[in-house]
Amino acid sequence: MKNILLCSLICLSLFACKDTKKKNNTEKNTAVAQAEIHQELYGSWVGDFLDVGSEEYEGDYDYIKKLNIIIKKITKDTVIAQSIVSGNNRPLFGKMSDDGSKITFVLDEPGTHKYDGRFEIELVGDTLKGKWNAYKSELKWPEKEYKLIKRQFVYNPNLMLPTEASYVDWNDHKFVEKLDTLEDGKVDTAAMDFYRSASDQIFKLNASAHLLKEQDLKNLRKLDLQILKNTIFARHGYAFKKDTYRQFFDPVEWYIPISSNVDDQLTSIENKNIKLIDRFTKYAEDNYDTFGR
Amino acid sequence: MRYLISYKRLIWLLVFACFFWLMLRITIRYIPAQSDVSFLQIKQTEVTGVKGYLLVFYIHVYSAIFTLLAGFTQFNRHILAKYPKLHRSLGYLYTGTVLVLAAPSGMFIGWFANGGLTAKISFVLLGLLWFWFTLKSILLILKGDVKGHQRFMYRSFALATSAITLRLWKVILVYLFHPAPMDVYQIIAWLGWIPNLLIAEWIIKNKTTQ
Repeated sequence: MKNILLCSLICLSLFACKDTKKKNNTEKNTAVAQAEIHQELYGSWVGDFLDVGSEEYEGDYDYIKKLNIIIKKITKDTVIAQSIVSGNNRPLFGKMSDDGSKITFVLDEPGTHKYDGRFEIELVGDTLKGKWNAYKSELKWPEKEYKLIKRQFVYNPNLMLPTEASYVDWNDHKFVEKLDTLEDGKVDTAAMDFYRSASDQIFKLNASAHLLKEQDLKNLRKLDLQILKNTIFARHGYAFKKDTYRQFFDPVEWYIPISSNVDDQLTSIENKNIKLIDRFTKYAEDNYDTFGR
Repeated sequence: MRYLISYKRLIWLLVFACFFWLMLRITIRYIPAQSDVSFLQIKQTEVTGVKGYLLVFYIHVYSAIFTLLAGFTQFNRHILAKYPKLHRSLGYLYTGTVLVLAAPSGMFIGWFANGGLTAKISFVLLGLLWFWFTLKSILLILKGDVKGHQRFMYRSFALATSAITLRLWKVILVYLFHPAPMDVYQIIAWLGWIPNLLIAEWIIKNKTTQ
């Protein structure tokens, strides 16, 4: 008995030795790669991306864009991050400076895209405030401003589009004028169609949480179907490339654009529903306003 | 040539030919037969859940197009007078297709129609009346009652053309009002054939030989 105890003690001590060795190794590695600092700032910072000088919503104002800056790594010399806005998913590279009282960032997009530019950010309390200036100053809105709050993206299949007035109002007075130009039967092109055409079924049917039946979709128009399908993608944080969908989802409180491809994240319920919705969408495209069936 | 056909008739015939062409194209979409093509894209509940639905659906699609052919020849007085044999054999083709294939299959798929009970009732009733008018008409001519035969064939064919008018109404209503798909479906289910029947009654009253 004593022997066994002794043996096990020796074994344990041996393992303990190994563990300490490992720890030493990893510490050495990070030291070489530079110490990461301010890790509490890592993650998504989300807020509205506003045109400077267009506070009044008129003219070519269309909708408030949502900006997500994902801070991935901060060291003394470099900051690695990512910006997602308007479906553009751009890597950011820059510096942080901390003079003891103020933390500021200067982060640059690569410059290979038309809308690339520089973010200059300051941490004020729990908010990142700052400006963005396009490299190409001839852009219509070369300067933007934003206030970003740190938010963690969490997939939740039960999230639904808000039915509240603000959401509808936002569409309402902006696109009323376009009503007339669209009487040619095209239903899916402009945002005002959301207000005009989307039925209240889009607030009732959840294509992430429940397996849909054909009966659920029979009376839906193409726009309803597209919204149902894209609400799935919005729940997964898909960064919409199409303006139509950004207009629907950017103003939604829970929506955080986080990825340009969420196909791997879709659940089996969602995949089945997408197939069903696609069939109905194709049928609507082929038949809704034509002589056929 | 003047005796053969009037301009008015020619225009009607051309219009009808256009719509026949459109219907033919819709039919061709279903060749080769598949279980998930065109209309069947939104009918998978029935395709997978109702025994025989797919078979009966295809019987309807492939047979009904032939009944429209009657519109080219059977109401032409010239053909009727000069080629009675042609009229008879084409008539039997129409009658046989309606009674054996198109009308019974129409009632069956009508029972599973989109648009709820209102639409179902309409389509089943349409099938029943189509069957009855056609049968009645053929029984009347076998007894030698030409006028009766004419009357009921006008009615029968008016219902056959509901395939065209139903789709035409849909285009018009969607263009004007952008209704939800099943809302429009419930309307055209009835609008597709009742006005047709009223027009047939008007023709019977005013145009048939006394």
